[in-house]
Amino acid sequence: MALFHKVLRGTYILRKCSKPTSALHPLLGIRFADYSSSLQKPVASPGKASSQRKTEGGLQGHHQKEAALDITCPEEKPDVSFDKAIRDEAMDHFRRLKDEIVNHWKGPEGRPLQEALLEQAKVVWQFRGKEDLDKWRVTSDKTIGGRSEVFLKMGKNNQSALLYGTLSSEAPQDGESARSGYCAMISRIPRGAFERKLSYDWSQFNTLYLRVRGDGRPWMVNIKEDTDFLQRTNQMYSYFMFTRGGPYWQEVKIPFSKFFFSNRGRIRDVQHELLLDKISSIGFTLADKVDGPFFLEIDFIGVFTDPAHTEEFAYENSPELNPRLFK
Amino acid sequence: MSWVQATLLARGLCRAWGGICRAALPGTSISQVPRQLPRGLHCSAAPHSSEQSLVSSPPEPRQRPTKALVPYEDLFGQAPSGERDKASFLQAVQKFGEHSVRKRGHIDFIYLALRKMREYGVERDLAVYNQLLDIFPKEVFRPRNVIQRIFVHYPRQQECGIAVLEQMESHGVMPNKETEFLLIQIFGRKSYPMLKLLRLKMWFPRFMNINPFPVPRDLSQDPVELATFGLRHMEPDLSARVTIYQVPLPKDSTGAADPPQPHIVGIQSPDQQAALARHNPARPIFVEGPFSLWLRNKCVYYHILRADLLPPEERVRWGWHHPEGWNLYYPMQLDLEYSRSGWDDYEFDINEVEEGPVFAMCMAGAHDQATLAKWIQGLQETNPTLAQIPVVFRLTRATGELHTSSAGLEEPPPPEDHEEDDSRQRQQQGQS
Repeated sequence: MALFHKVLRGTYILRKCSKPTSALHPLLGIRFADYSSSLQKPVASPGKASSQRKTEGGLQGHHQKEAALDITCPEEKPDVSFDKAIRDEAMDHFRRLKDEIVNHWKGPEGRPLQEALLEQAKVVWQFRGKEDLDKWRVTSDKTIGGRSEVFLKMGKNNQSALLYGTLSSEAPQDGESARSGYCAMISRIPRGAFERKLSYDWSQFNTLYLRVRGDGRPWMVNIKEDTDFLQRTNQMYSYFMFTRGGPYWQEVKIPFSKFFFSNRGRIRDVQHELLLDKISSIGFTLADKVDGPFFLEIDFIGVFTDPAHTEEFAYENSPELNPRLFK
Repeated sequence: MSWVQATLLARGLCRAWGGICRAALPGTSISQVPRQLPRGLHCSAAPHSSEQSLVSSPPEPRQRPTKALVPYEDLFGQAPSGERDKASFLQAVQKFGEHSVRKRGHIDFIYLALRKMREYGVERDLAVYNQLLDIFPKEVFRPRNVIQRIFVHYPRQQECGIAVLEQMESHGVMPNKETEFLLIQIFGRKSYPMLKLLRLKMWFPRFMNINPFPVPRDLSQDPVELATFGLRHMEPDLSARVTIYQVPLPKDSTGAADPPQPHIVGIQSPDQQAALARHNPARPIFVEGPFSLWLRNKCVYYHILRADLLPPEERVRWGWHHPEGWNLYYPMQLDLEYSRSGWDDYEFDINEVEEGPVFAMCMAGAHDQATLAKWIQGLQETNPTLAQIPVVFRLTRATGELHTSSAGLEEPPPPEDHEEDDSRQRQQQGQS
């Protein structure tokens, strides 16, 4: 039966061994629908589409297209569509690569050079739709066995993001954790063609700008650098963000010179300033040892150049703690 | 045989020995063991069988549910009055010191004391931490030669010292000269606890005053004062006025179980008052709440009085037609830009979230409509135009987690009570 399909199409397609299950990427499912509808005209065996629908329970794209087809077919042809789906995705990546190369010719990220160089305020993350929420992920100490919960959803009128939940500093009974209780919202690393890791270049800005509305709790803002050459999973630069609470929106401006360096959650003795040319992700953490519900509403996150801020780095190294630096 | 057994008992409270004694004395409570010791060798040892072995047998916790499984825990349970405060804590610490000159088991005792500090309420008391560090024997753990300096000398003790400092750090207690001197005496200058102290002394001053909205550590527990502080904390306008509309009745005056009057404290700034006076009576205003505000570790709830955003055609801009007029002599609204010249542009390329104006805020003891209606009535005294404006109460459960939302939600909010309070009704209430 599979050979019959191949003959029909006139192309040779590598047989994939695995049968698609409902765990497939939903994008593939939608492509299935397209492909099967195009196949119906020459083949006149439309039942495969409905059998596909039965195998991939829960994919929404099908129902409108295959509603009229009820004939069941014994053979599935997901292999064919699976290959097509792979090809489509590969084409998509190549297209993105081509865009990247062309944009690089035009200027950084496709914007003309004069616009990018003279820019003084840039919105990096905004929360105006569900797709903006997909750029973030939330974690809590449930991963180590704690009891805190955290959720992220769109706020009022789809104009802001609401991060809410409950913090519980009850330590997990696993014999090695003495303290617990944290919730975090971390941005996903920007991906380019072929899921390459990209990074942000904020070297012409010097202040982080956040428009938030909190409930009086102190948060911590963490910035992680790109892990292109060096493995830096546990290193990050942090600073505190104090929310006022209340119904008014609060503007928080944190200069990048205030961020201190920490590794594996501990401040290190050797401090150096945050280099802004390869920023990978930003995150907000709540771990203020107070149990109870919390919320944080974020309007947007941007970076800008504060001309009044001339400090390069806020912390100096001490010769008592680092004698080797001062030799 | 008995005096040998007595000497064994008198040897000390090291855990293995404690295990043996406990295993060998079934049916006696654990508190008997230390009580025998101060009496010296002359006390008669409790009867135990002759086949007692000197090798420590594992203790059997299942048979003794009433006994403490942690050594020295009974020291903390012996307060005469039963109250847990600094004096009884220090008394327990002193009692440990009296047991033996060698201070056996001081590490276990210090770890236990660190855990018990929170119950006794002394976790932010520097003097108590210094007393705890005082338990360590001095000059014993200092390295004396190069080899001892290379290898971590007395690692368990250094870990214990670091644990004491770590608890100080987590509670925000700044160490002082006495702590430093104690650590030098106990561990020496190049030890890990001393290094941790140096780090505390370097980082604490850097982060002590970075909170732009500081909340004092000792907040008053009186609800009216707490509400006043909370409202002032939230309101950025310094000329706002806090009004106490209702004070809770003192509990001893009436025999009622709970005070019939919850406190109501409100805040309004002159700008908000003017905006409310200008508000169009055809549009309703909403009482929303309760929202949560955290002051250190205390959560209070507040309500706001706000109106919806005006549609763009109705928004009044400064100019000829503004009700406050246009002044020839000086500008009524200054729009100072933070730019050096024409090429500077510090505006973000996004439309900020715009929400309707907030006219007043309040904190009340109860979150029901009756209390808030009293607040509105109180507000009417300073804002007479409020009588003509319809007020809609949009109250949710006092979970304090989410902001209530106006129209345009995706998922159903927690149950809301919508009650239209017509202006005529309230006028009648006000008159009656």
